[in-house]
Amino acid sequence: MPVEFSRSTTEEKATLAIAGSLDAITAPEIRVVVDELVNEKQKKIVVDLAGLDLIDSSGVAVLVALYKRIRALGGSVIVVGARDQPLAIFRLLRMDRVFSI
Amino acid sequence: MAEAVIKLTVPGELAYRDVVIRTTAAACRLVRAGATQSSTLAPLDLSDDFDAELVSAVSEIFNNIVIHGQDETGTRGAGSVIEFELRLSDLELEVVITDTGPAFDIDSVPSPELESLPEGGMGIHIARSCVDALDYTPGPPNRWRLTKRAARVAHRPSTQA
Repeated sequence: MPVEFSRSTTEEKATLAIAGSLDAITAPEIRVVVDELVNEKQKKIVVDLAGLDLIDSSGVAVLVALYKRIRALGGSVIVVGARDQPLAIFRLLRMDRVFSI
Repeated sequence: MAEAVIKLTVPGELAYRDVVIRTTAAACRLVRAGATQSSTLAPLDLSDDFDAELVSAVSEIFNNIVIHGQDETGTRGAGSVIEFELRLSDLELEVVITDTGPAFDIDSVPSPELESLPEGGMGIHIARSCVDALDYTPGPPNRWRLTKRAARVAHRPSTQA
């Protein structure tokens, strides 16, 4: 299952929507987008996972990297729309509170 | 106890991950629908997260075998395969995974420090946490056994999700 993503930026926030499967195969694609967001020094990022069906530890690692790097810049990252298997994984790894899910 | 067995053999490459996941998810649905039970019994009332958890565990073990099973050239030997045996019964779904990669000491894998938001080392932790039992016997061939019990009970409290 591939990953699909889209970006939108307004004056107040950048939104990254990720759909499909964020896993060991597709995580490198999203890592490129994470680099862009960090290089742009985005201060408020919303990650929309309403369309995400599956995530694995490689996918979680990319989101954690995004969170840590944006926080280091003084910004914030929140995750919205997580459901089913991805939500179960975030809860298991106690990341639901970190990501304000 | 009725039992059905599904066998699947895939090349040890990430490209086959989707096949493994879909097969596991389909097996979960069969157990949920009571496919292995006599027709006089109601379908099993599995926990809401049963399918998600077993898929997560199998997915992490598959990744682990493929990624950490590579040799120093970054590839696996030609013809390297991973074998899956999914055993569906009235009581549980057991997944036995056999691979021919390098063996390792699973007990030496530390639990991740979740408070520090690790960016790696979570795979085995996820797999362990998502099943009732994870047994690993180093080989060759290495043998993993994941057991997920299907208690005929009401949904688990959401606080355990």
